[in-house]
Amino acid sequence: MLLLDYQNVLIESLLKDRFAPGATPTSIDQVVSDFDNVTFHISTPESKTKILVSLAIKCYPELAKYGAEEVLQREYGSLIVQPENGYDFSVQVDLEQLPSSDEEKTELIRKISLLKRNAMAAPFEQAFDEFASLQEQARQYTSESAPQGVREGGTVRAIHYREEEAIYIKASHDRVTVIFSTIFREETDRVYGKVFLQEFVDARKRGVQNAPQVLARDDPPLELQGIPGLKGGKGAEGGVTYVTFVLFPRHLTPQRRAEVISHIQTFRDYFHYHIKASKAYIHSRMRRRTADFLQVLRRARPEAEEKERKTASGRTFTVKS
Amino acid sequence: MADFNWRTLNIDALDPESAYNFDLTTLTPEVQPVSSSDVQTLSGQVRQILRGGNAEAALRGALENAPYGADEQGKAMHLSVVTEVLGQIRQAEMTPLLQRMYKDDGGSELCDTLMKYLYKGMGQGHPSSASGSKNLTPQATGFSQVGGRNFGGGEGGGQAMSVFLSWHEKLVEMVGPGSIVRVMSDRRTV
Amino acid sequence: MSQSLRPYLSCVRSTLTAALSLSNFASQAAERHNVPEIEAASSPELLLNPLTVSRNAEERVLVEPSVNSVRVSIRIKQADEIEHILVHKFTRFLTQRAEAFFILRRKAVPGYDISFLITNLHTEEMLKHKLVDFIIEFMEEVDKEISEMKLFLNARARFVAESFLTPFD
Repeated sequence: MLLLDYQNVLIESLLKDRFAPGATPTSIDQVVSDFDNVTFHISTPESKTKILVSLAIKCYPELAKYGAEEVLQREYGSLIVQPENGYDFSVQVDLEQLPSSDEEKTELIRKISLLKRNAMAAPFEQAFDEFASLQEQARQYTSESAPQGVREGGTVRAIHYREEEAIYIKASHDRVTVIFSTIFREETDRVYGKVFLQEFVDARKRGVQNAPQVLARDDPPLELQGIPGLKGGKGAEGGVTYVTFVLFPRHLTPQRRAEVISHIQTFRDYFHYHIKASKAYIHSRMRRRTADFLQVLRRARPEAEEKERKTASGRTFTVKS
Repeated sequence: MADFNWRTLNIDALDPESAYNFDLTTLTPEVQPVSSSDVQTLSGQVRQILRGGNAEAALRGALENAPYGADEQGKAMHLSVVTEVLGQIRQAEMTPLLQRMYKDDGGSELCDTLMKYLYKGMGQGHPSSASGSKNLTPQATGFSQVGGRNFGGGEGGGQAMSVFLSWHEKLVEMVGPGSIVRVMSDRRTV
Repeated sequence: MSQSLRPYLSCVRSTLTAALSLSNFASQAAERHNVPEIEAASSPELLLNPLTVSRNAEERVLVEPSVNSVRVSIRIKQADEIEHILVHKFTRFLTQRAEAFFILRRKAVPGYDISFLITNLHTEEMLKHKLVDFIIEFMEEVDKEISEMKLFLNARARFVAESFLTPFD
């Protein structure tokens, strides 16, 4: 598993079981965790056939500000119910009113398991739309005569999706900039992260020419000037790193944007996941190497020669147990 | 007095009878104190012979008159002269030169002195005592030393070290490990 | 093997061979004690002149002999931040298993990355030349391992980065 899935696998498999023809409805009460401290609650509060899926996400107020409700309305429409207590958003599926065809069922499952992705997608979609309109406006001007607003681009949308980490999205007339701020808990992570980021930055120079441009730095990039609550900067402690993805118009076409949004959302978790995996591998490697060294050292110990001791008459000693 | 940690006091150091205060000078053969200016004169002479093209004689001269009685500064001065001489001699000439030197009267002593200089040369720049001039502690709790470390200077001094290393190799080949033992145990240091 | 590595290792080898002439020696400071004199440092006449073997400014071995014990400290090459972290992790890994390694010192001497403490008990129990072999092999392998791990990390990083960016392509 190299790339992370966009959907929540647990919800997916759970719903698949329930939707299967001939499956008997049972009561469910499960709390499912996802990346970025997102929690799902799957339950059947009313009757066994009505499955309620609720989502709790830390930055929901922020997402709502950037149009999450409209996006979710579009995606889930009639499934939406009053949010469960303690959660931000709920959908409900009635097993008795499932679509008949298998494709439609699979589609429904996919949709629900992408709940987190869709909630997080709102600011991206908004930014992409903004990019489209800015691009349209910019076309009327040459680069010098463009009014301030068009040249500078839109406002920065900040999503504080984790305790100390955030995503910032900014649209301009020729690009959309996505900035991840991420924290390394340990010095080792930081150094490994540096190696990884260097490769992200260099990847464009090597085979993947059409990929978004990636930049990594320790102090807040210029795009984020004037945003309150930014950590980092020269000599600051805490190990904040800012990773910038510059998405070019070719990534922002309506055909591709769904895929791009899904993919870029996974960056932070993908990145940290591979740092951890590398650490684990190197650790196991060291363990093996240490065992090798022990082997070499053991060679230094002369083998205890167990000579058979005999009496003068030729009889041997035996150990009596 | 209250803030004085008497538990860490080394009481052996206060006892004149204790082994801790063993007088090391009783183990050291008498050495003539040599002043820095004498070492300087000697260095000048050795350099002159070296410039004359006779590296072997220069080396002998330097080793025969090793200033055991000099202070640290004088010893360092002499070391730099010896290093200079060693650097002038080509790889191929090492073994024949050492053989000639070894066969002569008192040659084994000269070889031991040379061995001392080789180790001293390799130990320079980073004092071998555990106190250490480097302010980094590899076993410290965190990685606080990461930023302070000077990376990239790794190959610095590699050239001079490889001269010492090849001399060492040739010398050990001829005189055996006994010479190294004598370097360790001889209280007269260079 | 690199050109300068061979003389370096052979120099360490002969130095260790010479230094590992240890005898049993009861403490002079405390009755019925028998401690490694190089660590106790209670009697200056029992400590011999420490020797340093260096390959360059970053790689060196310090051999501190005494009458009944030798302390060998190794400084491993660390060209950059990554190697530094790897060396640190690796040596920590080893020192945590010092019990199993008999001759490993739990803490490195300041200025060095890893230290061994060989006492007369060890040389009596184990073959001296094999102990020397072990330290030499250790030095060789550590360098090799560190650079392999670094290569692995780079390769993995490259692969991971390209895999992530390719779907955008």
